[in-house]
Amino acid sequence: MSATASRPSADPAILRARRAEDVVVGEEIVRHRLATRVIHWTVALFFFLALFSGLPIWTPLFGWMAHLLGGLNVCRWLHPWAGALFFASMAVMFVHWLGEMRLEPRDREWLRPQKVAAYMKHQDDGTEGGKYNGGQKLFFFAAALGAVGLLLSGLVMWFPLEFPRMLRELAILLHDVTFILFVLAVVFHIYLGTAAEPGTFHSMIRGTVTKPWARLHHPRWHREVLGEETRRP
Amino acid sequence: MTTQNLEIRRSSASLWGEKTGMRHLPVVSKFIDTTTCIGCKACEVACQEWNDLEAVPTRQTGNYQTMPELDAEFWNLIRFNERDFDGGVVWLMRKDQCMHCEDPGCLAACPAPGAIVQYENGIVDVNPEACIGCGFCATGCPFNVPKFHAKTGKMAKCTLCVDRVTSGLEPACIKACPTGCLQFGTKDDMVALGHARVEQLKGNGFANAVLYDPPGVGGTGVVTVLGHGDHPEWYGLPADPHVPVGVRFWKSVLRPLGVVAMIGAVLGAIGHFMYQGPKEPRARDGEPPPPPGA
Amino acid sequence: MTNGWVDIKNADVILAMGGNPAENHPVGFKWFMEAKRNRNARLVVVDPRFTRTAAVADLYSPIRAGTDIAYLLGIIRYALENKRYHEDYVKLHTNAPLLVNPAFTFNDGLFSGFDPAKGEYAKDTWAYQLGGSFAKTDPTLQDPQCVFQLLKKHVERYTPEMVEKICGVPKETFLKVAEVVTSTGNPERAGTITYALGWTQHSTAVQIIRTGAMLQLLLGNVGRPGGGVNAFRGHSNIQGATDTAGTFEILPGYLKTPTGPWQSLKEYLDANTPKPLEAASMNYWQNTPKFMVSLLKAAYGKAATKENDFGYSWLPKVDGNYSWMYIFDDMYRGDTTRAGGKEPGPEALITFGMNPVGLGPNSKKMVAALAKQKWMVVVENVETETSIFWKAPKEYEGPPPSQVQTEVFLLPAADFAEKDGTFTNSARWLQWKWKALDPPGQAKADQEILARIFLAVRDLYQKEGGALPEQVTSVSWDYTSPASPDLGDVLKEMSGKALAEVHDPNDKTKVHTAGQQLDGFGQLMDDGTTMCGNWLHSGVYTEAGNNAQRRNNADPTGLGMFHNWAFSWPANRRIMYNRASADAEGKPWDAKRPGITWNGEKWVGDVPDMKPDAPPGTYGAFIMIPEGVARLYAPTFNDGPFPEHYEAVEAAVVNPLHPGVTSNPAFKKFTSDKDVYGTKEDFPIVCTTYRLTEHFHYWTQHQHQGLLNELQPGFFVEIPEGLAREKGIENGSKVKVTSARGQIQGVAMVTRRLYPLKVDGKEMWQIGFPIHWGFAGDPGHTGPLANMLTPSAMDPNTWTPEYKAFLVKLEKA
Repeated sequence: MSATASRPSADPAILRARRAEDVVVGEEIVRHRLATRVIHWTVALFFFLALFSGLPIWTPLFGWMAHLLGGLNVCRWLHPWAGALFFASMAVMFVHWLGEMRLEPRDREWLRPQKVAAYMKHQDDGTEGGKYNGGQKLFFFAAALGAVGLLLSGLVMWFPLEFPRMLRELAILLHDVTFILFVLAVVFHIYLGTAAEPGTFHSMIRGTVTKPWARLHHPRWHREVLGEETRRP
Repeated sequence: MTTQNLEIRRSSASLWGEKTGMRHLPVVSKFIDTTTCIGCKACEVACQEWNDLEAVPTRQTGNYQTMPELDAEFWNLIRFNERDFDGGVVWLMRKDQCMHCEDPGCLAACPAPGAIVQYENGIVDVNPEACIGCGFCATGCPFNVPKFHAKTGKMAKCTLCVDRVTSGLEPACIKACPTGCLQFGTKDDMVALGHARVEQLKGNGFANAVLYDPPGVGGTGVVTVLGHGDHPEWYGLPADPHVPVGVRFWKSVLRPLGVVAMIGAVLGAIGHFMYQGPKEPRARDGEPPPPPGA
Repeated sequence: MTNGWVDIKNADVILAMGGNPAENHPVGFKWFMEAKRNRNARLVVVDPRFTRTAAVADLYSPIRAGTDIAYLLGIIRYALENKRYHEDYVKLHTNAPLLVNPAFTFNDGLFSGFDPAKGEYAKDTWAYQLGGSFAKTDPTLQDPQCVFQLLKKHVERYTPEMVEKICGVPKETFLKVAEVVTSTGNPERAGTITYALGWTQHSTAVQIIRTGAMLQLLLGNVGRPGGGVNAFRGHSNIQGATDTAGTFEILPGYLKTPTGPWQSLKEYLDANTPKPLEAASMNYWQNTPKFMVSLLKAAYGKAATKENDFGYSWLPKVDGNYSWMYIFDDMYRGDTTRAGGKEPGPEALITFGMNPVGLGPNSKKMVAALAKQKWMVVVENVETETSIFWKAPKEYEGPPPSQVQTEVFLLPAADFAEKDGTFTNSARWLQWKWKALDPPGQAKADQEILARIFLAVRDLYQKEGGALPEQVTSVSWDYTSPASPDLGDVLKEMSGKALAEVHDPNDKTKVHTAGQQLDGFGQLMDDGTTMCGNWLHSGVYTEAGNNAQRRNNADPTGLGMFHNWAFSWPANRRIMYNRASADAEGKPWDAKRPGITWNGEKWVGDVPDMKPDAPPGTYGAFIMIPEGVARLYAPTFNDGPFPEHYEAVEAAVVNPLHPGVTSNPAFKKFTSDKDVYGTKEDFPIVCTTYRLTEHFHYWTQHQHQGLLNELQPGFFVEIPEGLAREKGIENGSKVKVTSARGQIQGVAMVTRRLYPLKVDGKEMWQIGFPIHWGFAGDPGHTGPLANMLTPSAMDPNTWTPEYKAFLVKLEKA
């Protein structure tokens, strides 16, 4: 794929992407070092496990999914554990990413409706986006908050005998609402991370992006990484 | 407990409806007259023995009531309540068990297909084979009846002795009742019996006597004569039980909306892609095109 | 019961007092509820505690434990004062018109004839005025010496205010009760009184029950369907036991036990065959010779001949009090109360289906008494407090186990379901039950254990002789299987058979040849041609078969008499004294509820308590009484011809009626160092004991992991809320209860169901606790014996201890 493809095991980008981040390797920039990617995909794994074990419990419309996992009883057993692991990995991810996800004034600027609309129309120039734009940071925090909501309501539902009925009723509502919003967000997350923005999915697999990708989606970050702008602490 | 030979009217988490009813069965009901109940607990013993339930360990806490709540191994509990009334006390005893609602909150809340069924004769039953022990039914029940059985991981509650009733026998508790405060028959007959008794009580100084058959859950398969009908809470009964609004909301509004929203989101993404296409860097001078497949 | 369980459904008013039938007789209680549902009957409960029965009552009245007589005499006064009694009935069927000896007096709490030194009454001044051999009467009830006027005078003091003062019941509540109860004092309505051990376990027990009976007589309720005085027995077969010489002073069928002065059969019969006191008295006990001779023939068979007084001399002649309380006192003291205390006390004990350490009062004395025995045989189906008395915890103060020399033999006995036989219920029905399963291990049915002991003892007498071997060797043991008699054989023997050709005295067409079962006690003879083990049960096993096994529930009367269900003694009669259900012409007081009716030729309806073809007016309705009428005034009891309110022996107050005589002057108590009594100053709280539905005596808590143990898991003390507040006691916390005799601990059950009482102007509290627990149950379900605290003071007629009212103090533990 790259200039050193003759010795694949020695792909310098891959090597660099194991540990370093935000560095240029040839024509590529390392965006997600290995740890980040492992954490992300761990979260994703448990998310989907929880999703597929939860959906058939959620509505019989997805009852068929239970068969894939060995039946509804398996789902009943698997779902809270998958959820707990999802939350645990999410927590790790939160700590891992928190430094890069601090909301800054320009992120708020990005989150203005006109900007979001422009973004959706591919009309923004990405000037204000650092390594992560306002939308991504918002998703990060929303996902973290959602995970907390799912955990807390999930715990009540996991051990219903320990909680008063009113709380259980609320927990189910909270779990439902959070879950629906979470899924909506994840749908867009996946869309944006795959079809909508080619190269993004790649960055979560290989760890690197191309310079043009960086310049297009995260120009400020691109400049920082190339040394054109002082990196903010 | 057993769905053999039984006609199902309603079944939990059913997409299509599972009505199997071809036979017309009259709706049955228990009749409890709290004004002639002496709290002897014969019904408790009969329930335990007929259903082969284990004795639940208890200890003396200063109450005639065996346990604070029903239990997965104890489906029939007499509740004892002392209240001040008319310058003295009243000591109210009520047999607590599944009320077999016409509109069962447990069935509404249950996510496992067929785990809770309502037979044609109105009996609401847990099918342990399908039950996943999630406890949603407990949340859906306005009477706090279904209990989790730790050993089996299933929910358990009074079956209205569906095995006996199917064979033409009265439930075990009714059989054991020594005072006749428990009766069993068709719902119509039991309601008539109840109204007659209420009229008699009204003539005997119980001005507020009622037959408790709460319309909020469509009526119950256990109708109860209360001498102090103005205070159902004295008997441990909710004044106006309903399937919880939350259950109704999540079941009938939130989940369909959620499904629609999710499908909408997916379609939205597809539509956006079709309309807008991918956001890709335009090739600039001096830079190679982006790697294929990225 | 004079009536029966089912008959309660015919009542318009039910007074449940001295008993908690919903708790202790829940199955029979069905008929209370039937009466409520179908007749709109009123259920009135008078009880120290707001009980399970009170929970379904129409009217509840609190009462201080032990003051029932004052309460009932108050109702009697109310009935007389307000003319709410059944006058025709009273004139016709009671001794109200009979004239009493003018020497009879009642002053300051004492009836005439009291001997303070012995604590006993001489009864001669209590007699009727006689004209010839019959009592004089005043049918107008105006003579100041007639029973009616004497009664009126006697109850004059029991005003509603006095009832309030003594019983602690608000006057208004009492008056409501009095009004409802006396609403049956007329032909149109009928009311019943039900009681149990809440009446029988007092130092004034017999007089309490009498007061209830007197009230029912005044209201015209005795003998009528829906009426009666109905004792609920505390065990499934205690009625059968009592009928069959359950206590020392009676032989089977309530014949008196021979005593020293009655050395010959003639002396015995002369003393025990009463003379009629009225011309119209049937005086049924005039048949005593027939009953007694037939009993002797059953006991000694061929060895009983006219020449040897039918073996009468072999019957032991009782020389003192052998009631079990006295036996234990003798055991404890090591000598006997009999023969002036000069005889050595018992040295060994066989206890059969009885747990004296559990059920006797003053448990410490029970344990100490057993520790003085050389050996003891306990026949039981579980290990009881008695069989392991030497393991009693230290608070029972028995000697250390190493020093107990008593050799204990525990013989495993079959359970009720492991043997057949009859239960005689409270309604006097002998009902056969069939064995359900074999006894476990080496357990044997009672009759086998008894038979094998008897045969072994007889063997010894036959081989080795003795002081009077005939007493044992002459006993008839004519059973198919001598080592384990068939209970059908035994029932046949009790029912009676002809030993020669017997002609029915009333119906010459009925002839029984030798060996045939008789139809009933009317065919018994006093010449040795019949035998009958219990004349009262005669007719239970006839040539038609075992009538105790009948299960035909047809009820042509519609009143629940069920004449073809089992056998009701006497003579399959369902309502005793049923002649009193009809007026002078033999017409039922209430045509809708006839007991018996004279149809011009004979009495029809229930089995008449009357000669079936004797027209109205021939005999009085109460055929067992020499007066021929029922006694409002009873010159036969040991503590007075009228009931009078006396405080319990441990008196909570000085008797407001006569401060000089607070407690029953004739009550009996013991004087050993362990028989101590507390005073109201040291022990200010009134205490009572009771049973619970969930347990059967000291037995069910032996179930290992049993359901009943979980339904009522442990000992508790019921404490009124106000008292708990005063003492800082929380529901569910531990408390200590102390009487003069001991101390126990238990969980507090703080309740509103025990009302605060105002007695004689002072606030007073009552507490109570159930019996059931002891140190021998399942290890998870042991507890203190309630009787650790109860006193051994006794009623002077029956020697029943005063379990139901004694004094304690209460503390946090």
